[in-house]
Amino acid sequence: MGKQVLYIEMDNCIGCRSCLAACTQCGGHDSRNRNYVLDVDPFISRQTIPLMCFHCVNPACARSCPAQAIQIADNGAVLSALVEKCIGCQNCTIACPYGIPKFDEEQNLMYKCDLCYDRTKEGIPPMCASVCPTNTLQWIEEAELEEKRAQIPLANGKWTASHDPDVLEGETNVKISLPGILQGKQKLF
Amino acid sequence: MPKDKFFKVIENKIHPNEKLVSTHCSYCGMQCGMNLRVDTTTNKIIGVEPRYDFPVNLGKMCPKGVTAYQQVNHPDRIQRPLIRTDASLKGTAEGFREASWEEALDLIVSKFKELQHNYGKDTLSVYSGVSMTNEKCYLTGKFARVALQTRYIDYNGRFCMSSAAAGLNRSLGIDRGSTIPWTDIHQTDCLFLAGSNAAECHPTSMFRIWEVQNRGGYLIVADPRETPLARRADIHLDLRPGTDLALANGIVHLLIENGHIDEDFIRNHTNGFEETKEVVATFTPEYVSEITGVSVEKIVRAADIFGRAPDAIVMFCRGVEQQAKGTDNVSAYTNMSLVTGKIGRPKSGVATLTGQGNGQGGREHGQKADQLPGYRKLDNPEHVREIACAWGIPAEEMPQKGVSAYEMFQLMKDKTIRSLYLLCSNPVVSAPNLNHVRESLKSLDFMVCCDFYLSESAEYADVVLPVTTWAEDDGTTTNLEGRIIRHRQAQEWFAESKPDWWIQIEIAKRMGRGKFFTYLKSPQDIFNEIRQVSKGGVADYYGVTYEKIDQNNGVFWPCREEGDEGQPHLFLDKKFYHPDGKAKICALPYRPPAEEPDEEYPLRLTTGRVVFHYLSGNQTRRIPFLKDMYPDPLLEVHPKTATRYGIEHDELVTLKTRRGEAQYRVKVIEAIREDTVFVPYHWGKAQSINLLTNPALDPYSKMPEFKACAAKIIKHKHGGVRHG
Repeated sequence: MGKQVLYIEMDNCIGCRSCLAACTQCGGHDSRNRNYVLDVDPFISRQTIPLMCFHCVNPACARSCPAQAIQIADNGAVLSALVEKCIGCQNCTIACPYGIPKFDEEQNLMYKCDLCYDRTKEGIPPMCASVCPTNTLQWIEEAELEEKRAQIPLANGKWTASHDPDVLEGETNVKISLPGILQGKQKLF
Repeated sequence: MPKDKFFKVIENKIHPNEKLVSTHCSYCGMQCGMNLRVDTTTNKIIGVEPRYDFPVNLGKMCPKGVTAYQQVNHPDRIQRPLIRTDASLKGTAEGFREASWEEALDLIVSKFKELQHNYGKDTLSVYSGVSMTNEKCYLTGKFARVALQTRYIDYNGRFCMSSAAAGLNRSLGIDRGSTIPWTDIHQTDCLFLAGSNAAECHPTSMFRIWEVQNRGGYLIVADPRETPLARRADIHLDLRPGTDLALANGIVHLLIENGHIDEDFIRNHTNGFEETKEVVATFTPEYVSEITGVSVEKIVRAADIFGRAPDAIVMFCRGVEQQAKGTDNVSAYTNMSLVTGKIGRPKSGVATLTGQGNGQGGREHGQKADQLPGYRKLDNPEHVREIACAWGIPAEEMPQKGVSAYEMFQLMKDKTIRSLYLLCSNPVVSAPNLNHVRESLKSLDFMVCCDFYLSESAEYADVVLPVTTWAEDDGTTTNLEGRIIRHRQAQEWFAESKPDWWIQIEIAKRMGRGKFFTYLKSPQDIFNEIRQVSKGGVADYYGVTYEKIDQNNGVFWPCREEGDEGQPHLFLDKKFYHPDGKAKICALPYRPPAEEPDEEYPLRLTTGRVVFHYLSGNQTRRIPFLKDMYPDPLLEVHPKTATRYGIEHDELVTLKTRRGEAQYRVKVIEAIREDTVFVPYHWGKAQSINLLTNPALDPYSKMPEFKACAAKIIKHKHGGVRHG
């Protein structure tokens, strides 16, 4: 089995928050969800989008950590802060451009999505992608990702929000297709 | 079965000191496969794991499914029987004391006997539900007719699926909610969904529905609201609530006019085309647009796409069925498939999205006022003889046909019915015109309620019996495809709770009718009786066994012999279930909703669900995650309507109809028609939207018109905006 990645197809999201509920069920998550769903414009439409950790290749949270408490696993998962190292400075929560790491005041500890490392290291999809009833969140092999890229060509050659590395958080392990990818879809008849 | 493109072999995660029990979700008709995590030291259910091998959902779950296990050991569970000590407190959670099973059952039986002695056998009634296993649904019908010997039994499927049942029976001669397996959905070329908020009510269908568009197929949605499903549709037919019949007739009109019909299919396999052609002739796009409020352009385009599609599936749900002409709506949409011949083959057909968990199986086994097991009819003497013989009672002892669910409340009010045995239902929230329903329950001489929580309806009972949940018993259900599946016991019976089948057999014994029941010692015994009794009926389960279900991940009925694999697709031989083998294309003149807006009540109220709650909310309102996500019902109003009434987002207002009023917070959103407001129905007491809904009944199915009535908003004098 090739490398597997979390792929997000924003247009599919129906706002059911199954991913949040499932996140609470993952081992070691202490019944707390570490992903979020946003209403894009609640006065106008029911469009929602999931907001997950993108597991940056060069994560700002880890780089900003003075205690080296944020480990990056072999599959690219950016893990929660190590209990024994985290000093509770909250640099990571400030550094992350997506607002993913949260801070537990009682434990004086940062916690965030760890891509269900206890599952993904065994080839099992993360809970959020396992349950997502709409295929907004998919756990797919890189070959499948390439197939999707080939199926949905955009004029500018870009189809995901995560592309070439740039100044800070460019390259991510989680891939995202932008809303509106069906616009260029050739109809069957 | 066709290979599913979404299927992947994935190992399950098993945590130390735990085992997984494969079963199905307790909620909607999808009956998604799931694994319950059971702690092997305490033998308690502690969590959930996806079950990737069940072909309907392939591990996917909605937020209700993910948290469903939390019902089982919930602190609100009733631990032991409750007996009311203070009748003046009926309708509240107060005034009960705990009792032993012996005392509770003895009290029930002595009251039943006394009432029957004084007022006749039919003074008792049974009001049931279809969130139970087939075994329990079947036994409940037998319990009412053989143990209690009353004609008055009906069930909450009247509020959910009965129009689909009546419409499909009339059009196709059989009531199996789907003519295709769910694995066909994503392979079709055009999906036409009417009155279905599938994204919120059947979310695990969505990966297949979106795939139709991903493949370049079309998605057409008819709904007054821009639901999450309609948001992405190729065409959103944003019709006024209660006008579906005109829309369906209009599309059939265009299919005929544009030559998109299958003349061979119509000639060889249907009746009624000429009459229908005549009726729909007047339903021009302009006329339909006038009635429905949908633009002519959209109607024409939808009919053109549906007509040109090589394969197409028509799906409908409560938006279409919960109307005083729901049966006609179902037949009218089915006409679209019949005139185009897009039925009776893979990737084409009709399907209704079942609301309750066992909405399909629960209506096949004789819980309905007019039905006996295997879809046999009480007004057919031959059918009565068959079932009486199977049950071992003389045919003349079989009680007569009763009345439908809502009509039962009317009989309670006039004292024709003096006692109610209520199980698996919460009509004090889910029935229409609730003020009337609540008064009816208060007027009963004696009421028993079986539930695992003290529901709003249980608060009216004299005796409350604690029952097991879905995860504490074995049994089968039949999902929205017609697939019979296995639920497995994952935990021992909670505290002193008992399964419904156990309770009914105990009462039957005490009523002196034990010989008809006591040989049934387990759900499998009951299932084997269903197999025998349904043999030869339309819903024939004879060839289905627990072993075969396990081997094949479910078996589709009809399954008539032991070697029969069941039928995922219906009508592949183009034989419909009417005596001449032909389907009926129904000529259906349009009529408006029972109550139209006027000067006093200028808005149309429609009701429905949200993704976080199930039915009356008795179960889901207690689950912390679901409660946090959607704690109270909101009144959806278009911004222009809000401006007209001078009300703001989050303001508390009163919504009023001719039957009652209730207060709601306003949710301003453009995704609804200006002339329509929407409130979800999952809440009890003063928040119940069914205080306002119209009990006008469909003449065939007796389903009330939940989906359309006239309403007005009353702004509170001092506003009511909640800040912060």
